Amino acid sequence: MKVYFSPDRTEEVAVVSATVEEVLLMLGVNPVEVIVSRNGALIPEDTVVGGDDEIRVIRFVHGG
Amino acid sequence: MAGETGRCSAPGCTEPPITVLRGSGERLCARHFTASVERRVREAVEGGGMVQDGDVLAVGLSGGKDSTVLLHILSRILRNRPVRMVAVTVDEGIAGYREETIRSARSITAALGVEHVVVSFEDFCGSTLDSLVREQPLHPCTICGVLRRRLLQAAAREAGAARLATGHCLDDEAQSALMNILNGDLRRIVRIGVPDKDAFVPRVKPLRSIPEKEVTLYGIVQGIYTPLPECPYAGEALRSDVRSLLSTLEYRHPGTMERTMEGYAGLRERVGACTQAGGVSYCPDCGEPSTGGRCRACELLSSHRKR
Repeated sequence: MKVYFSPDRTEEVAVVSATVEEVLLMLGVNPVEVIVSRNGALIPEDTVVGGDDEIRVIRFVHGG
Repeated sequence: MAGETGRCSAPGCTEPPITVLRGSGERLCARHFTASVERRVREAVEGGGMVQDGDVLAVGLSGGKDSTVLLHILSRILRNRPVRMVAVTVDEGIAGYREETIRSARSITAALGVEHVVVSFEDFCGSTLDSLVREQPLHPCTICGVLRRRLLQAAAREAGAARLATGHCLDDEAQSALMNILNGDLRRIVRIGVPDKDAFVPRVKPLRSIPEKEVTLYGIVQGIYTPLPECPYAGEALRSDVRSLLSTLEYRHPGTMERTMEGYAGLRERVGACTQAGGVSYCPDCGEPSTGGRCRACELLSSHRKR
């Protein structure tokens, strides 16, 4: 499963089945600070993802 | 695809949810999420008496996501009311950053048919933020905050506005509250010494109960969210730490930010009632209302001119 971070970081995650929340925590991302889409559709954090899914993580919280 | 997302919680709706609201646990599709956000903002605006028929409402519009969403929602919920909105954008003079957000502000006001005024630091004091930062020992956010507030107030007054709406969301408010406490800043906590409210165009914050995540999601759903460059001066150390701390607490203990603001509002109300309201005083240099003596903008610009 590919996880794209805006703007240019991509992670390949080997997950058969996990919730979005679990994937985010695995990648060290606080789910409160991001919005996630799967294959172009917005999804809640309790959605189960895996396999060939393409996940996009929109981080809207910046440092300052 | 590994799994489905279920259905929206709204009665009779079969659309897939796009989010789970942290407060209520509702799983909402795009349409019902939009309606939920607009309902809460409408309640804040109407319940808080933020706008009266016949008013001019100034809206601070940086061109970033929060103020863009604010203008979009206000233009929807006020469309059938006799209220004139004037969007105000402050051009601080930040090379490589402001140009894009001002383009974004022009684009949203044109799309919504909202009157738009752009005022600049350069027109106000002859210097951009970039040049002030080079000559001042103060943190750029301090300089920017003082002058931006001044210009927003002046533009709102010029427009004849009864209120000045800003895009501060729940996260911003909780961060500021905690920063005031961590700084031990009693004047800010209970607003001691704030001049009579008639001296300023009162500020209102219609998004103050909406989490930043929901503000952003609303912008994405409405097609008005555009990732913009981050301000090169961003990074006020304490706010950055407080933001990170509050986000962690909000994740581990959902509702933390909302409870923080409820408690903070109660604290202000009770402690504020025991203190004397500040009288109006005016800056001897520019005549603007101040908390006593020379206003902060004149203090700041005076030290700039001496250099």
